[in-house]
This record gives sequence, C-alpha cells and structure tokens, in this order.
Amino acid sequence: MKFIPPVCPEPETGPQYFRSPEAMANSAQLQEWAEREFPAGASELTVAESRRDFMKLMSASFMLAGFGLTGCRRPTEHIYPFGKQPEGYIHGIAQHFATAMPTRTGAIPLLAKSSDGRPTKVEPNPLHPDQAGTDQFAQASVLGLYDPDRAQHFKKDGKIAKRVEALDALALISKSAAANGGRGLAIIAESNSSPTRARLQAAISAKFPNSVWANYDAVDSTIHTQAASLVSGKQVTHYFKFAAAKRILSLDCDFLGSEDEMYRYTRDFAKGRKISKPDSAQGFELISRLYTVESLMTLTGFSADHRVRVAPSQVAAVAAQLAAEVLKQGSSSASLNTVALAAGAKVDAKWISECAKDLVAHKGAALVVAGRGQPLAVHVLAHAMNEVLGAFGKTIELHDAPKSAANLAAAVGAETVVVLGANPAYTASETWNQIAKTAKTVVHLGSHEDETGKGASWHLPAAHYLESWGDARTSDGTVVAIQPLIAPLFAGLTESEVLGHLLGNPTANSYALTRETFPSLTGGALDEEKWKKFLHDGLLEGSKANAVSGSFNWTAVSTAISLATAAPAPSKDKLEVVFHRDASVDDGRYSNNGWLQELPDPITKLVWDNAVLISRETATQLGLKNGDVIAISANGRTVEGGIWIQPGMADFTLGLALGYGRKWGRIASFEDKSVGFNAYPLRTGTAGFITGASAKTTGRTHPFICTQDHWTLHGRPVVREANVDQFLKQPDFAKHMDLDGHTEFLAKNPDGSIKNIYEHPYKANPELASKSHQWGMVVDLNACTGCSACVIACQSENNIPIVGKDQVSKGREMHWMRIDRYYAADPKKKPQGGTVDAFLSNATGSQGNPNTVNLVERDELQATKKWIDDPQVVTQPMMCQHCESAPCESVCPVNATAHDDEGLNVMAYNRCVGTRYCANNCAWKVRRFNFFDFNKRPIGGGKMADTFFKLDIGLYKGPAGVRPGDEVDIISMARNPDVTVRMRGVMEKCTFCQQRIEGAKISQKVKAGASNDVVVKEGAIQTACQQACPAGAITFGNILDPNSAVSKLKQQDRNYSVLGFLDNKPRTTYLARIRNLNPLMPDAKIWTVEEYRSISDPHFMAEPAAEGAKKGVKH
Amino acid sequence: MSAAAEHSIPSSVKIAPPPAELEREPLVLQNRSIGWISDHIAGICEGEAPKWWLPALIMSVSLMTMMFGCIAYLIATGVGVWGLNQPVEWAWDITNFVFWIGIGHAGTLISAILFLLRQKWRTSVNRAAEAMTLFAVACAGIFPVIHVGRIWYAVWWLPPIPNNYDIWVNFRSPLLWDVFAVSTYGTVSLLFWYTGLIPDLATMRDRATGKVKKFLYGFFALGWTGSNRHWSNYEKCYLLLAGLSTPLVLSVHSIVSFDFAVSQVPGWHTTIFPPYFVAGAVFSGFGMVLTLLIPLRTLCKLEDIVTVRHVELMCKVILATGSIVGYAYGMEFFIAWYGGNPYELAAFKNRAFGPYWWSYWWMISCNVICPHLFWFKKLRTNMVFVFIVTIFVNIGMWFERFVIIVTSLHRDYLPSSWGYFRPTWVDVCTFLGSFGLFFTLFLLFMRYLPMIAISEVKGVTPQADPHHPQGGAKHGGHH
Repeated sequence: MKFIPPVCPEPETGPQYFRSPEAMANSAQLQEWAEREFPAGASELTVAESRRDFMKLMSASFMLAGFGLTGCRRPTEHIYPFGKQPEGYIHGIAQHFATAMPTRTGAIPLLAKSSDGRPTKVEPNPLHPDQAGTDQFAQASVLGLYDPDRAQHFKKDGKIAKRVEALDALALISKSAAANGGRGLAIIAESNSSPTRARLQAAISAKFPNSVWANYDAVDSTIHTQAASLVSGKQVTHYFKFAAAKRILSLDCDFLGSEDEMYRYTRDFAKGRKISKPDSAQGFELISRLYTVESLMTLTGFSADHRVRVAPSQVAAVAAQLAAEVLKQGSSSASLNTVALAAGAKVDAKWISECAKDLVAHKGAALVVAGRGQPLAVHVLAHAMNEVLGAFGKTIELHDAPKSAANLAAAVGAETVVVLGANPAYTASETWNQIAKTAKTVVHLGSHEDETGKGASWHLPAAHYLESWGDARTSDGTVVAIQPLIAPLFAGLTESEVLGHLLGNPTANSYALTRETFPSLTGGALDEEKWKKFLHDGLLEGSKANAVSGSFNWTAVSTAISLATAAPAPSKDKLEVVFHRDASVDDGRYSNNGWLQELPDPITKLVWDNAVLISRETATQLGLKNGDVIAISANGRTVEGGIWIQPGMADFTLGLALGYGRKWGRIASFEDKSVGFNAYPLRTGTAGFITGASAKTTGRTHPFICTQDHWTLHGRPVVREANVDQFLKQPDFAKHMDLDGHTEFLAKNPDGSIKNIYEHPYKANPELASKSHQWGMVVDLNACTGCSACVIACQSENNIPIVGKDQVSKGREMHWMRIDRYYAADPKKKPQGGTVDAFLSNATGSQGNPNTVNLVERDELQATKKWIDDPQVVTQPMMCQHCESAPCESVCPVNATAHDDEGLNVMAYNRCVGTRYCANNCAWKVRRFNFFDFNKRPIGGGKMADTFFKLDIGLYKGPAGVRPGDEVDIISMARNPDVTVRMRGVMEKCTFCQQRIEGAKISQKVKAGASNDVVVKEGAIQTACQQACPAGAITFGNILDPNSAVSKLKQQDRNYSVLGFLDNKPRTTYLARIRNLNPLMPDAKIWTVEEYRSISDPHFMAEPAAEGAKKGVKH
Repeated sequence: MSAAAEHSIPSSVKIAPPPAELEREPLVLQNRSIGWISDHIAGICEGEAPKWWLPALIMSVSLMTMMFGCIAYLIATGVGVWGLNQPVEWAWDITNFVFWIGIGHAGTLISAILFLLRQKWRTSVNRAAEAMTLFAVACAGIFPVIHVGRIWYAVWWLPPIPNNYDIWVNFRSPLLWDVFAVSTYGTVSLLFWYTGLIPDLATMRDRATGKVKKFLYGFFALGWTGSNRHWSNYEKCYLLLAGLSTPLVLSVHSIVSFDFAVSQVPGWHTTIFPPYFVAGAVFSGFGMVLTLLIPLRTLCKLEDIVTVRHVELMCKVILATGSIVGYAYGMEFFIAWYGGNPYELAAFKNRAFGPYWWSYWWMISCNVICPHLFWFKKLRTNMVFVFIVTIFVNIGMWFERFVIIVTSLHRDYLPSSWGYFRPTWVDVCTFLGSFGLFFTLFLLFMRYLPMIAISEVKGVTPQADPHHPQGGAKHGGHH
C-alpha cells in the first residue's frame, strides 16, 4: 500500500528547532512538499508547456538507460528535510508494492520497487501461489514506462488537444450510443483477464446492446480455449500442470518460449527436471521427458529430449498418427478416423509408436500440448490423447472461461470505432483499412502514437500498468491487484477509465472502478480490510479457479478431425511460413524498448533485427546464404527480409518474427531506419502459419548482428551433460570431463589434495576471509531453458546501458550476464575433416563442402554443415564467476578490481583506468568495457557527428558537457539508485548484486542490535537474475552455511566449475545437464560421457570403436 | 714528447704490412683522415640542408600531426574509436607498443653489449641506433598511455604515488612492471646516448659559427675540453652506463613479454616468451637500423664510415636472431602439442589456420624465410636487397605482435565469446602517425646532432692504430 505522509494535526510543543527559514515560516512550499503524493513534476507534466519541454528534453529510451546519480524526482530547487519523519518512510530505502502486469491471457504477479516515488524494478510477487519468476517483457516494462516516445498528448486528428475535449468527445459518443443502443459503435480491445474489464464489458453490452465488442490480438491464443471448450462441451480454458507430468509431448507448442504464461510453464517444467540426488531406483523416471514435434527451433526444442522437425502443416499428420497410436496402445474404447489426416506424415513409424508407448506407460502423468499456431484439429487430437492418457484432472485442468468475443472483422462497418490498446492498423492492416473506410470516428487509446493512433480521429494516451489501478486474473484464476506506483506521467487514461466514460460516467477513474468490482469477487459488500489486504498482498487469497470436470466429447473431436484435411508436404516452390511471437518485441508492442531490442534472441542470438529463419537444406536448394535478402510471396502479397540459417529448422519452412519494421519510434525505427522488416502483410488474419509461399532472391544482403558467432563447443566440456542412465551409473561424471578430471599426474599434499605452487590466499591468510559470509552461486543447467529473462533483470537492476546495433556488431554489448547457446551434433553424423581442401575452402571463404570440416572452422561456414540439421542444444547462463584466485585481479595495475573478505570479486569503478587487461585475462569473458559514454551520450553520436563528420560517435565534451535543463532528472528515472552509473573507460561486470548483499547485511545488523547475530539469513538475498528466473535455475547464498540451498547444491555430484582446471576456483558453479533420452526411440542419441565431450567438436573424428557405441550400449 | 721522439723508429726502417689474409677490412675506408671524418660528419649538421630533408620533414610532421589529431579524438571520444571489442580488448595499441619497444632494442644492444664485447664496428652505427632507440621508445610510450580508458586518471594512478586513500599500485601486475621497465629503459638509454654525445657536442661547439648554436652546443657539451681527466671520467662513466644498460636490453622486453606470459590466455601463457621476445626485439631493431642507415649512408655519402662490412655484420645479427625467432615459433607449436592441453593446441591451430591465418603466414614469411636469404654473401652485400629485406623484417615483426595479441585473444576459452577484430581508420592513422613522430625526431636529430660518433670513429680508423704505417702520431700528431 502506498503510504502518504500524514500532516501533523496538532501543533508541536516544546522548543522548536529550525533548519531553514522556510521551515520556520512553515511555508506553503514546505507544506505542499510534505503533502503531495508524488514529487514535483509528476503531475505538472500535464501542462502543455511543461509537456513540450519534457518532449524536447527527453531523449530516446536508451538514454533512459542513462545517466544520473541524483536518481530521484525530488525537486532539485527546494530540498527540505522532513520536519517530522513520516511513519514508515526512510529516505533512500526503496519501498515495494504488490502489483501485476496484465498479459493477454492472465497477469504476471509482481512486486514493484519504488525508489523515492519512481518505479525502478519489478520482481515476482513471492506471495503468489505460482512462485514463478517473470518473463523478459515484465522486466523490461520499467523502461517502457519511461519511454520518451510514449504518447504524451491527447490528439484530435493528429493535433494536440486538451484532455477535457477528449473526454467530452467520449461523453458525446456515449450519449449518441445511448440514444440508439450502441448501433454503429464498435469497441476493439485486446484479450485481458481483468474482472473489472469483464464487468464493464458486460455493462457496455447491456447498455448498448447493438454495439460490437471485438477482441483482437495480433498473437492470438484463443484456440486453446476454443479447443478445450469443444472437447469438454463447456466454456472452459486449459490450465497445464507441467510439474505433474512425467512425459510431455508438445505438438508445435513453444510453452517454454512464445506461448503466453511461459514464465509459469517454465517454472513447472523445471520442477520436473530438477534432480536432488541420483536415485537409481527411479531410472528414467528421475526426471520428466519431453517429446517435441515442431517446425521452428524454439526454446521448447532446446529442452526437448526427442525432437522431430516437420513443417507446420505436417504437425497435424504427425499428431494424427500419434493419436491413433496412443488410442491403440492405450486400448481406448473410442475410435477416431485419423487415417486421412495422418497421410503423408514423414516421421519414422518407430518414433511415433515408441513415443506413444512411453506416453501410455505414464497414464495420469503424461501431457500432450498443442501450439497456439496450430489449427483446431491438432488441438483436439492433443486433447484426445490427453483423455486417453488420463491427463484431465492430473496434468491438465479445465477452468471456466469467459465467452469468446467477436473478432476484428465484426467491427467492419461501424461508424464509431474505439480501439483499446490494440494496434490493428499495423498488425492487421487489411481488415483495419476496411474498418477505417467506413468509420467516421476512430478513438484510439494507446501507449504510443502508433500506426493506429496516427490515423485516429482521437488519440488518447494510455497509462502504463505501473500508473494504473486495475485487477487481473493469473492463469490459475487468482485475482491480482494492479496498483499504480506513480501518477500517470502523461496524464494517460486506463482502459477501464475509457470504458467508464463510454458508459457515461464523466468522472470515471480506475481506482473507483476497480474497487467497485471488488465486492463481486469476495462476495458481499466491500470489505475494507479485505481490500487493504488485497492491495498489500497483491492478490486475493482463495480466488483460485476450481477445476471443471466434464465428459469428453468424442463426437466433437471426430467432427473437428474430419473437417481438417491433410496438407501436402511443402517443397522448394511451395514454402510454408510460420509467424511467431518475437522474444524481444512480442507482437510489436515492445519494439521501442531498447533493452528488449538489444536482448540477444534466445534462439538465434540476433539483436536489433528479425530474420527469415530457414533451414540449411532449404537455403542450399534455393541457392541462398546467410544474410541474403529474399522476397517471400503468398496470396499476392510480398515481404522482404534477410535470411538466417537456423539449425534445427524444418525444411521448406520459413520463420518470420512479428513486430518489426516500424516506421516510428527512436528505437523501433532507429535513425529513421526500421529495425527489421514487417512480416504482418504476408499473414492472413491471425494465422500461425501459411502454406504455398514462394521465395526469390533480391540480390541484396542484410547485415545481421549476432552476439554468438560460434555455434559449437569445439569439444570443450564447458557445458557438461549425460543421459539419465549414465548419470545414475556415474553420478560424478561431470567432474571427469575436463583437464581437471585428470589429476593423477599432479603432485599431491599428504591429505590427497592437489599441491599448488602457491597456497590459496584464504588458506595462506585466514584472517582475510570473513567468518560470517562467503557468497557462492549455483546454476542448474537442467533447469535453464535459455529464456533470457535474467539478462533483462540484470540490466534493470544494475543500470546497464544499451549500446545500439552498430556497437553490438563491434562486440561491445554491455550485458553483465549472457546466455550462451551451443549446438551439438550426433558424433556418428560427424563428417571427416581436416583436409587440405577443407583448409583451402576455409581460407578462401568459399561455401565449403558440407561433407568436410574445415581445419579450423570459420564462423560463416558453420551454416553449410549437414550436422546442424538435427542438433541438440544446450544453454548456459554466463556471468562473473567470482573466482577465489581471480585472474583479473592480479593483472590490474591500479588495484581497481580486488577481492573482498566475503569472496566477491569487486570492482572499484572510481579507481579503474581501463587498461582492459582484466578482461583479456578473464577466461569466461564476462567483463564489459564501456567504450563510449554509453550512459551519457546518444547512440550514433547525434546529428552533427553522424551527418557532418561520419565519426563513430559524438565528441565527448568532458565535464563541461552538461545536458540542458532537467534532462538528467528525467533520464535517470529508470535507474536503480543503489547502483553506480558507470562512465566510459571503465570496466564493469556482474557483482552478484552487491547492493542487495549489502542491503541485507545492513538490515540484519540492525535487527541483530546488541546481539551478534549478524549472519544474513538464508533466502534474504536474491540476485536479480535469480529472482527473475522463471525456471529457478539460479541459486545464490552463503556457502559457509552448510544448510543453505547453495551449499546443498554444491554438494551434488553434478556440480562442476567451468574451466575449473585453470585453478581460478570460481564461486559460480554449474550443475551438469541431464538428458532423459528414451533408448527405444530411433533418434536416441545416447552417447557415452566421452562422446558427450566431443559431440560439439566439429573436428571430432569417429573412431571405429565409437561406431560400435550403439544406442543403449554405454561405456 | 721528447721521450717518444727518442724512441721513434727511424724513417729508414721499413715495416712491412701484415699479409693480406691477416688484414681485417678497415672500419673506415679510403684511408679517410681524422680531419675528413670531423668535417664530413659535422658537415651534415652544418651548412644548407640537403634538398630531400625539408620535404621529408614536412611529410613526417604531417604524419605526426595526424597521430596527435587521432589521439585527441580518441581521448575526447573514447577508446571505442579503435576497433577493439569484447574478446579483443587489446589489438593495434599494444601491438604498436611492443613493435616500437622492440625496435628500440638495437640501439642499446649495439651501444652497450657490443661495447662491452669490444666490437669496434659498433662505433659507426651506435649513435644513430641509440637515437633510434630513444625515438622508438618515445613512440612506444605513447600507446600504453593512450590505450587506457581514462588517461586522466591513469597518469595519477599508474605511478606509485601515495594518496589519501592509501590505495597503492598493484605490484603483481605486469602492466606496472612495464611502467618501471620502460621508463628505466628510456631514462638509461637517454643518459647513455647523451653521455656518448658530449665529446661530439664539444666538437660541434668548437665548429659552430652562429652564437645561438655555439651557446646551445656549448651548454649541452657541459664544458668539455678534451682534457685527459675528462676523457678518463668519460670513459669510466660510459663503461658504467654500458654495464647498466646491458641487463636492461634483456629485461625490458622480457618484462614486456610478461604482459602476455603471466596471463592465462592460451597462446600467451608460455615460458618461452622472454628469450623469444628479446631475440625478436633485436631482430626487429637491427632491421630498423638498417632500414634507416642504408639510405642515409648513400644520401649523406657515408659509405666510407658505414661500410658494406657494417651492413653485412648487422645482416648476420639479423640472421642469427631471426633463426632464434623461427625456432621459437616452431617450439611453441611443439609444446602446444606436447603439453597435451587442448586449449593451447587449439589456440595454435587457430593461429596458423584460423580466421587470421593470413597474418600468421605474413609473419612466417617475413621473419622465418626472409632472414635466411642472408646466408648468401652476395645478397647481404647488396644494399638494395638488404634494404628490401629489412623492410620485410619490420613488417614481419609487427605481424608477430599482432598475431600473438589478436589471434590469441579473439578465440580463447569459451567459444560463445569468440569474435573478430577489424581496425578502424583511427587505428591505422594512429599507427602510421607514430612513424611520423619517429621520422620527425630522427630527421631533426640527423640535422642537428652528429649522426655518427665522431670521436669514437676516429678511434677505430686504421690510422688510429699506433702500429699502422700511417697511424698514431707518426705523421703530424693529433689532429
């Protein structure tokens, strides 16, 4: 709950001491300062002049990633101490408020950090039963709040208008709609789980029965509800419980990546993949097993144990075959005619039968999920399998769902169109053009003056969720509160306020509207205590949805299947195109967010771009190489984009990420050049994919910037993995995979430990080490899916600037942590290599022979190798390892990086002169150098530098180069005041979130008082990455405490240090990844530990003996 | 004198010259007299400048100005104006540093080690070589200073100056050792060079016509009169300085090599670096001495003082050190294989066959193949040929440092972080500009200071030998 400092009611007694003349006079200014809810500036921004100044002064959101040690919006002109300290307020101590970020199908429960009145960080709400982290969008939403390109004005036909006028216009619409029952009124909104919205929607349809309410999402997930309702005969939606599933089959469902609720699915899935100890009795039941049928390479595919790649249209055929097999093996009484649909599925019959067998063997603990982009038939087939596998009630629950609304096309012909949040002019331009043609008035409520907003008669700035009151339901049905942490910066309206105005309430405000809904959720009248608790906890306890049971409607399934037809397999001339939700910009709504644009795509590791993803085989057949721009045509429409050869893509399938190619926004169309290309024009409706597309080369190329040029591990056991059975046989396998596994030749101490030339500093000087805390971290590679939410969390917590595409291309991204992604190939598929021809083709950079391997692989030739077609993938979060004998520390000439007594490798930024030796000597390459003043200067150097001098970046004006006015105040608003903002020429890196460590230590010391209980309690500190990680893969804590989670994990056999043989003794260790391959599957790549060592090495030459290592035969 | 006159050999006695096969080739040809030597060498600084001098100076100064412009841009804007990136945090900056420091090695080696070893041929080349050393060190010194991110703090925090935070420099860091090694080397080289200059400065003073010149030469000649006491003190001092410089020849490049050897980067972390760096430095230093002296001896008509024999001898040094360097290259590969560390082996495979394979083979061709042409006397006495080869030696040695630094860094341990370095125009211009500084200083030096040690050369002329038929004081005494 927000605390408003109370005004002292009674006159103060006793002698009065004054700190300033103003205080003595008890001036109006002081009174105002003490009384106002928000610091000066927040509410004044509605004044036109002030807004214009604001607009002028603000720079792009990268600057918001910017500079400013002041870090607060307290008035700089008049600072007074509190005459009387308001209760509960401690200056400099951040406050946390429970809120939630609404999504299409639910909400992410959050705890938002307020630093002196401005939201600076969001963290998952620990009280919510999901106990999940967040996704990257939630983490980046903080920057979105301070986006200088946010809509700042009410506009009428593109001209700035007064707020009152806009509200009058809404009243007028309301009035005329009331007169004719809403005829000609259409409201287009995005899907939303808010009870208040549902209430207002119902009120609208009651008051304006003739109006049209259309739900429109560019990335449409309603198929899930549609399928669940169809098979159960009730209006329900799905609730997957991956944690309960031992065997999971995904039919083109990227539940770990682009599906809504991925953050909860990831947590649940990771629960089933975590290993506490090698329990031999469990065998292959030790962890869950994931089968994936998919077209694109996705995060789900990364985590899959068995993966087949098929074109999206062929998923139905595979699903039909699998369903038939599951029905048969599950001896189900039901029968489905899947023969027609199953025709043409080109998947090994054994794959189908063994997969089905495994699923059937786990009745009640199996789950089949179908992807958002797949047609209804695939979804009902998945549910048919779920029914046979006894999944309903166990691994999948059905919850009540609201009735589905009309779609966008229903708004065609309406005279007055109100668009709430959606941007159909960009995402569905064809339909929108039809709507706009007949609409006389278009009202657009949008966070940005985007494509729809620009053409609207009225554009209303929308309030950010951190500026709004509201409510929502998370996917399990729990009602969560949305509370503002700041008054709307640009006087924006919330969706509920617009609806309130449309309903004829001229004073509608979101707080009142949300409160009005509350009694209906709790039952009875409004209970103030419950409301307070609701706001405090951020959720309404016990509001979880109840599972709905229903009889499975086999007839509906049969009908749905019979309506579907088998699609012909794609070919070179008839390509299929998948439109996927982008991991950076979603459907385009985040395309002006610099943090997200610079987040390397979890799959491709591309930044500031979208690409036409294509398989090696398809590219070869079309005669294309990486970066070639192709024109893709289908249904008479064409889009152009550069290709990116993606390992593991289905052949003759193109993957196009939505949401790019914008024509506005400082980030979205950086330097007036659109980032990426717009894929929407090619799409029909909200289809997940289309068939029958053709591609031809344009002869142009596009420069892609990838943060990880090299795909393989080169036989380096950096990521260590084994299959379940090998792990059970040799639980400590990970400790024997690198050079540190071969210590038999080294001199030993009497106690058997390795004799070092130099004694460990802590052993040599025990007084140097703290006896209270020694910090350490463990990353469970079995849990990490590579989603990259941690990267943004780290960026938000640690004031990490973005650098722009050009600088990333030079390898200067500043992320303190990164997700390394490696592809691994079947050693049996490894070609011979190392020939002179191979060297020559390497040297000349020719395409190379896919059957040979270059002596030393060149990055651009990777995409030509056959082995990448069916790779295994591993991901590895990589951040400062906090080595006990840190190589960076010994080489710094000025002692700028040193070790503290708690085992942290610390940076004294003020002392750093930037020799960069530390970064060179870091084997993990986790140090980041600020090559330019990335925090202070605009990307690209500003107009003068760019236009006239063609210089890399603008000249540095030194200390004299002060930004005008209060710009510094504005851009510093997204900053974490607890973390230094680094200037140029300084090395920086992960600190294990030292500010959080120190905060916890201080608060423990305060609590300890006179007692000596200064050891920080387990769980009191979470690093930003750990907190955000939806998989719970990262654990941080005190390794001196044997009972801490991190100590226990470090005791596990799987625990290993990356590059441990260097004897730097990293404090960050990793738990080796365990796959759960089914030995009976035809594609089971069960390798020995030795083979795992070399799977990633393109120079691995299979020895004759290794050929004998058949599936199931180990060691 | 009278005693000497009593014992002088009567003119009727004929002394037969030693047989031709025992005769060493004289270090000064054509029986040039002592007076000729003074006139000729001092003459370069006197009178009108040769026609090529001013254009050469203008070009050099322009290049130098370009470098300082680049440096100003770099400091004003950020180290990012160079092509450095995440895995390759050092590239041309440190390459240039090591390159120039290496060049500096010939001077001290010639002046100190050859002096101690009584190699008389050094006298014709030592002055120019020492000057070259100083100028090379000046060029070298620029790069480590400007390569840092915050130069305005580096100048305070790199030297061990006590401050109020009680933060001291880190004596474990090889970069700090560099600070000491290079500054010591620069200081001792300067002293050594200046000490050697004193008698010649006096000569210049005595010959000077203008007042200003007379004053300046006189000021720096420190009142040298050529008395026995002066000579005695001078010789002692010179010997001491030679002794002091000798370990520095070995230490400075050993320490520079520690920048790499002390790290844990595969391709850097090898114990062979110190001797191999020293050999390489001498190799490149002699290359640069020859690059400078071969044109100069023609332009300034010094063929009789800097003789073909001098050039040949230096070619032999190049051959010897080039072979050491070639051996080191081979040994690195052997150890990478023999050591059984796959990371190390991969680094060397990558060096030869990876994306920077061209730089490696440039280095091999220039440093390993080129010097072996000097096995042939015909080739090493052909001035044009030697000049071209020394240019390649210089190129090769620059590439050696580039190969060591960049190819090791761009692909080290984690393949996820592998990258590629491309220089920017600022990289290129700064490097080219450093040649401008070098040549500017050298051109000024050759125009205003005696380029060859006049007094020392006189001592090694055939006539200086008392046993020489025309030698010593036999005819006309001191000049």
